Amino acid sequence: MNFPKELRYTKSHEWAKLSGNKVLVGITDYAQKEISDVVFVDLPKPGQAVVRGKPAAVVESVKAAFDIYAPVSGKVTQKNSALESTPELVNQDCYGKGWFFEIELSSCGEWDELMTSEQYAQHIQQEVR
Amino acid sequence: MNALLPEKTRFFPLHEKHMQSGARFGMFGEWQVPLYYTSILEEHEAVRKRAGLFDISHMGEVWVEGTESLEFLQRLLPRDLRKIKDGQALYAPLLNEAGGFIDDVIVYKFQDQKYLIITNAANTDKDFEWIQNHLSGSLKAVNQSDRYGLLSIQGPLSAQIVSNAFGKKFLDLKYYRFAPWGNGMIARTGYTGEDGFEIMAECSELSGVWERLFQSGRESGLVPVGFGARDTLRLEASMLLYGHDMDDQRTPLEAGVAWAVDLEKNAYIGREALVQQKKKGIQQRLAGFELLDRGVPRQGYEIRMGHEPVGTVTSGSYCPTLKKNMGMAYLNAEAAAPGTGIDIIIRDKAVHAKVVAMPFYRRQKLS
Repeated sequence: MNFPKELRYTKSHEWAKLSGNKVLVGITDYAQKEISDVVFVDLPKPGQAVVRGKPAAVVESVKAAFDIYAPVSGKVTQKNSALESTPELVNQDCYGKGWFFEIELSSCGEWDELMTSEQYAQHIQQEVR
Repeated sequence: MNALLPEKTRFFPLHEKHMQSGARFGMFGEWQVPLYYTSILEEHEAVRKRAGLFDISHMGEVWVEGTESLEFLQRLLPRDLRKIKDGQALYAPLLNEAGGFIDDVIVYKFQDQKYLIITNAANTDKDFEWIQNHLSGSLKAVNQSDRYGLLSIQGPLSAQIVSNAFGKKFLDLKYYRFAPWGNGMIARTGYTGEDGFEIMAECSELSGVWERLFQSGRESGLVPVGFGARDTLRLEASMLLYGHDMDDQRTPLEAGVAWAVDLEKNAYIGREALVQQKKKGIQQRLAGFELLDRGVPRQGYEIRMGHEPVGTVTSGSYCPTLKKNMGMAYLNAEAAAPGTGIDIIIRDKAVHAKVVAMPFYRRQKLS
């Protein structure tokens, strides 16, 4: 499984990518495989405030619905509208075209608390075991 | 996501084989069952276009044998079993005195004094107890659910694959007919809306049956299919699932399977209640719906018309063949007519939907 080095991760399987004070958010390769065929994504609206560790989006597979948590707190600046008509992008390209939303970071401290790819890979191993 | 297994977990005889085939497992009642092998969407499509093989060994097998078998089953079940011949099967609700579903079953007539009842896994013990409590005279009921496994091959190519594997005569087997095979049987039945066969074999034979079907069908695209696609396939075909679309609080009249009860037939369990209900009229009935806005309906979601609650979703999913989000729900009579606009409440939001006729999917028959 692929966990790019330049990203940070949460225990709940979101990835986050920092550029300037904006954080792009999606779900990891592990998560998309676990969830399997994604058929629906419900995203937060731009302008909406999200709180670290609280549900910010919903992704549904054929079988079930899963909450997606905000990795950091802040205001949503963009959402990936393409997921509304082609939710399968989450399975096909989870770190690229399958991104979920972008947050304007309100506290840099939160970013530093996210896991590195090595830490996340270890976390997964424990979870699988 | 890797939850510990409950203490009482039962495994299929072919569990190892499913593991080797890359299955992801989930719990279905007490059973650990394959959810999918590659992807629910791919497996669903394989069954609609080619063929898929399901392991449904969780189902129960109960034999009824003795000179008064027919009389007993006539009392037990709301359909007229005199209408089936040897080698013929019949879908039937198993009802309590109030006309509610204890289960829905398929009855197979082997010969005059020998019938097989195939039950839903989670209901098998309850059904068997019910059957035993109503037996009389020298009649015998035997639960052989542990002796037999059940495989189901479904899809447009399944007849060719089964006839290559087990003999040409299965090409001519009619719908809801079966032929003995080994110590079990092969029936032209299924739960997907496609042509298909269900093969009941002793557990020790099951692996051989699985292999033979793949030897015969692999080249034409036969794949193993899990319970994920089984659910989306049966939903598209609008077939009922016990515990979702019916239970002991619902009658066949409410569940839209009035065709499976014979109110003209004399004395059977639940008949009086059904006659009364028919006279009084039903308050709610099972109806199909499709979402007009984005969202996926799931069991338990509330349904409203305006601000009034009018029902509850019993089954719902993205339907891969129809590419729509659809479901079934018990709706108040005034909301249940096709074309009616309703709202499904998904995470506190009202999502527009409309009532549609069932089944959602009907296969095109060649002849």
